[in-house]
Amino acid sequence: MDEQPGLSEQYRRASPWPLFIALGLPIAEIGVLFGLVPLAVGGLLLFVGSVAGIVQESGYVERPWNLLVGLGGVLVVLGGALALSQLTGGSLDGFVSALGSNGLVVRGVSIVIAGAIALGVGGVARFVETEPI
Amino acid sequence: MANGQIALTLLMGVLLVAVAAFLTRIEDWRSYTPLAGGGGGTAEESGYAHEEKPGGLIRWLTTVDHKDIGMLYGTYALATFTIGGLMVMIMRAELLDPAATLIESTTYNGLLTSHGITMLFLFGTPIIAAFSNYFIPLIIGADDMAFPRINAIAFWLLPPGALLIWAGFFVPGLAPAQVGWTMYAPLSVGVGAGTQSGAGVDLMLLGLHLTGVSATMGAINFIATIFTERAEDCTWANLDIFSWTILTQSGLILFAFPLLGSALVMLLLDRNFGTTFFAVEGGSPILWQHLFWFFGHPEVYILFLPPAGLISLILPKFSGRKLFGFKFVVYSTLAIGVLSFGVWAHHMFTTGIDPRIRGSFMAVSLAIAIPSAVKVFNWITTMWNGRVRLTAPMLFSIGTISNFIIGGITGVFLAAIPVDLVLHDTYYVVGHFHYIVMGVLGFMTFAGLYYWFPIFTGRMYQRTLAKWHFWLTFVGTQLTFFAMLLLGYLGMPRRYATYDFPIGPVDPVTALHQVATLGAFLIAIGFVIHVWNFVQSWSEGPILEDEDPWNLKEIGQYTREWEWHHRRMETAIADGGDEEVATDGGKESNEEELTTDGGENVSETDCSD
Ligand code: HEM
Ligand SMILES: [Cu+2]
Repeated sequence: MDEQPGLSEQYRRASPWPLFIALGLPIAEIGVLFGLVPLAVGGLLLFVGSVAGIVQESGYVERPWNLLVGLGGVLVVLGGALALSQLTGGSLDGFVSALGSNGLVVRGVSIVIAGAIALGVGGVARFVETEPI
Repeated sequence: MANGQIALTLLMGVLLVAVAAFLTRIEDWRSYTPLAGGGGGTAEESGYAHEEKPGGLIRWLTTVDHKDIGMLYGTYALATFTIGGLMVMIMRAELLDPAATLIESTTYNGLLTSHGITMLFLFGTPIIAAFSNYFIPLIIGADDMAFPRINAIAFWLLPPGALLIWAGFFVPGLAPAQVGWTMYAPLSVGVGAGTQSGAGVDLMLLGLHLTGVSATMGAINFIATIFTERAEDCTWANLDIFSWTILTQSGLILFAFPLLGSALVMLLLDRNFGTTFFAVEGGSPILWQHLFWFFGHPEVYILFLPPAGLISLILPKFSGRKLFGFKFVVYSTLAIGVLSFGVWAHHMFTTGIDPRIRGSFMAVSLAIAIPSAVKVFNWITTMWNGRVRLTAPMLFSIGTISNFIIGGITGVFLAAIPVDLVLHDTYYVVGHFHYIVMGVLGFMTFAGLYYWFPIFTGRMYQRTLAKWHFWLTFVGTQLTFFAMLLLGYLGMPRRYATYDFPIGPVDPVTALHQVATLGAFLIAIGFVIHVWNFVQSWSEGPILEDEDPWNLKEIGQYTREWEWHHRRMETAIADGGDEEVATDGGKESNEEELTTDGGENVSETDCSD
């Protein structure tokens, strides 16, 4: 075990994660509802990241990364479904013009972006962070 | 627009980096001991992991201890109560005279909407959670809640929820929602020329949604805790009355709040994405009313049952007798819980729904009066021939019973269709439910705060100030809300900023409104005294050395949470004091509230008394 214990390791009755889960959820909701891409992406990342963190901290999983990949995957699927449901043709031009005109496509894409980042971070960290605990 | 996006992106990026930096500073990612089964709070003690919590602000931001979270809920609820109270004081001042003199009617509508939502969702549910978080684990002998971290998440969702609900007031460019706490369609869908299509309403709906998520998480946690975390000797047969009411309330929340959440999402979709769930030519505005009141009526019992449990808990302590008919009080709680899902359409008698539907809802609504009356009679019989000690918590409990009688009986009148057709949407309804939300929930909040003050603070409050608080609140409540019942009889419609319209006698209406405002100011003065008493006694009151300030041992009602309090006092003295209990200066114990003394005939208690 490490020299320096983390907060929730050192103290039995503390955890840094709940606050950030509770912050991520509203930011994500506002972002998605109003179609504000930065808020949607950032809020969702904060939310899924904290969920992965808290689940690891509680000992349900050993490392957070696989879970982060999974949650990112869910976001990609959900956002993708939302965006695709609005597209008629399969062409790239149609997609780009829909991004400009259809708010639902924008929202779907912002969810996909958040999911992709979570997927990427989780996937990379999973292999970089291989040291056993 | 593009600039705005860039600024937002920057802001969001900075926030995320800051969060990540903060987390890596305080949290070591690779140091977790795997704790099988999760559940938290039960981590094996490893060499250095003996401290419970960090210090300072970080402690409060990261705590997952049920007592700390209870304190957070309590602080939050008293803050929101103050804000909701200030809103209503402005409204009451406006109503002193018939015309709109002080504020515009649009401002009035905004304050009205926010007052209702603040009091029900930001004060009512959280203050109950404050008591139950702090005491349910202690009373049933659990180490903590079943899911301590979910408990913390549920609390931390509330401050953002409040900010969103009030956003219309302080975000430039937004107008506060004016749709009323019931958010009736088609107004709430954004139809019409007012501010109701603005983003202020959307933000309020989002905020409500968050508080709903929070309440649901809390409810699941309480159900799991009461089912699985009880101590060995705490069985279903001797489970205490407060836990029963919290269990029932959590069940109601579990079925009611997710429905509200879904209905809110439907409303948001109608407002922003062109669906027609509640459009006149679509699912119809009546659908909103059905969904809303299927949640809304259970919600009023969500706010009533735990305070009723507090009466059943506190009353016997100061009557020197056990709760009369314990079993029947539990049965009536369960009965009310079940029946409360079968009465929602009594809020819709005047909407033109099928008369046969109305009739059946009237019958069930009248039937709810029976378990309610069972409670009242049991409370009265508990005091009968008892050795009643009129301490502040007892005064508030007795006041609550009388308020509940008026609130309940007016409810029975309203449940009768012919009466409701006349009184619907008048101040009579406002009087009815305030007798319960202020007269029961508000009063029992104060009763609970006084009763457990020694446990929260290790000190005693000032008795004289508490009595002033009670009498001002009691008289104020009667003046304000009885005047409202009379205003209803005179035909004064609710939710109006003015009453200079020629539908009725203006003079008596004016007089009654002035009485109501006077009462409201009395309540406000009482509350200021209460806050002063609390803050001053907490910081300067003498340390209480008596572990039984209410002389409960004598009557064999020294319950678990007091035993825990006693243990904590002893540990604190042995350790030379820790951060939770200040023990320096061991002063004389303060006996000012005690009316009796003597006999230390300690009797064994289980979790039921
Ligand atoms: C004896 C039991 C009760 C009965 C039979 C009853 C009946 C009614 C009826 C029929 C109405 C509709 C009046 C109208 O809008 O025309 C009503 C309104 C209301 N009641 Fe009760 N009630 C009872 C107890 C309670 C309790 C315990 C609460 C707890 C807080 C409560 C809170 C409310 C509220 C908030 C409203 C107004 C809702 C609105 O804004 O329109 N009632 N009640
Ligand atoms: Cu009702």
